[in-house]
Amino acid sequence: MSTTTPFFFPREYSFPPFFTRQTNLTTHHAQLIKWAALVLAYCRHHRLFKLSLSSAISDPLSSTAEPTSDTTASDLFHNRQLNRRLSLADAREVLDFLRRDGRVEPVDGTTGDVVWVYWRTPEEWAGLVEAWVDETAQRGGVLTLYELREGDATRGAEFHGMDADLLQKALGVLVKRGKAQIFGQEDSLGVKFF
Amino acid sequence: MSRKPPGLASLTRHRLTSAQFSSHGSALRSTNAQAFETQLAVFRSLLQQFAQTHAKDIRSNPSFRAQFARMCAAIGVDPLLASSAKDGGGGSVWSQLLGGTVNDFYFELAVRVVEVCGRTRGENGGLIEVRKVREGLVAAGKGVGGEVTEDDILRAVATLKPLGSAYSVIRVGSKPYIRSVPKELNTDQSAVLEAVQVLGYVSVSMLMVNLRWARARAQTAVEDLLGEGMLWVDRQSEEAEFWSPGFMLESEEGGTG
Repeated sequence: MSTTTPFFFPREYSFPPFFTRQTNLTTHHAQLIKWAALVLAYCRHHRLFKLSLSSAISDPLSSTAEPTSDTTASDLFHNRQLNRRLSLADAREVLDFLRRDGRVEPVDGTTGDVVWVYWRTPEEWAGLVEAWVDETAQRGGVLTLYELREGDATRGAEFHGMDADLLQKALGVLVKRGKAQIFGQEDSLGVKFF
Repeated sequence: MSRKPPGLASLTRHRLTSAQFSSHGSALRSTNAQAFETQLAVFRSLLQQFAQTHAKDIRSNPSFRAQFARMCAAIGVDPLLASSAKDGGGGSVWSQLLGGTVNDFYFELAVRVVEVCGRTRGENGGLIEVRKVREGLVAAGKGVGGEVTEDDILRAVATLKPLGSAYSVIRVGSKPYIRSVPKELNTDQSAVLEAVQVLGYVSVSMLMVNLRWARARAQTAVEDLLGEGMLWVDRQSEEAEFWSPGFMLESEEGGTG
């Protein structure tokens, strides 16, 4: 899911002090709010569902310069034109700020380096899936998770091509509400909608 | 000329003449006053007529509005000053004359200005360039029915004064700023802010060279402004640079969609 249109960074991205932690508390808070908005907008634009802090911070020139992983966001915290970058600690603080807002969650089984970035929360994704199910009259039907993510039927739906684990999380919300049931094996999960 | 007529009769005559003089004088005065009142009434009705026929222009055309404001100022009518004390009418001259449209225009605008100041206070410490306020208003698409000039914004801020609010206009260098926190700037701080306008930032050594300040003085001035949230610091350059947040404030294009 590579988007062809470039991401338009907000004005503050070209503002050098934006990359230095501000000492004044009020200023710092304003800075965090701007960073949080930027992270969400960036991930939404590039359809990044997870963010790996260390790979986002590390210099891709010194490490393997391949943006293969789906969690790289090499220019998010690093403005090469300005030669300014957010430090690891400051970036962590931004993600922490988002976490308190319910927009970031550590991915299970990692040391907190990889996080979910919820530019849509699982609840919101669940709502989208449910709306799609209603629209296409699939209530009572059975679909595999693969079909939901990659099937032709969902082409055009916003959740088409989304992260498998996140989709499962979203469906989990529906299960809790009694709107769906997940069954099957690890790699061939199916879901029935009620 | 002053040949004094002798005798008692002169006393009565003198009283008579002075009475006549004074009555004539008061008559003159009253006709004068009447004439003036008529003139004023005519003028008011004309101004009212003018304002009513051009209400739309006044509202939508900024240069026309500025001209109108200037005309009022020239003839000594402060359009926004509440004149309730003078004529007991309540409301400003403009609200009386124009049925509130122009007045409402400025009050509405004042509310928008307060919004912009409030929204940006976190990042600029409550000091914002009037030009930036205008940009913010335009970006938010909240031009109160037409274009808004800096002149309008200054006038709108003036309407806030009776509320006893902290909003005031100060000049830093040649540029007007709106200050929305009750904070006085000392001359050193003003000088730093003025210097910042040139490049968008200053460093301590730049201040030392250009203003011939001692290091401690320059350091104190920028640290103070930093503490007030009126400057942002960039520590990733060779020497710490202190930036005006005004250089960042603008519409966030794209991104959030």
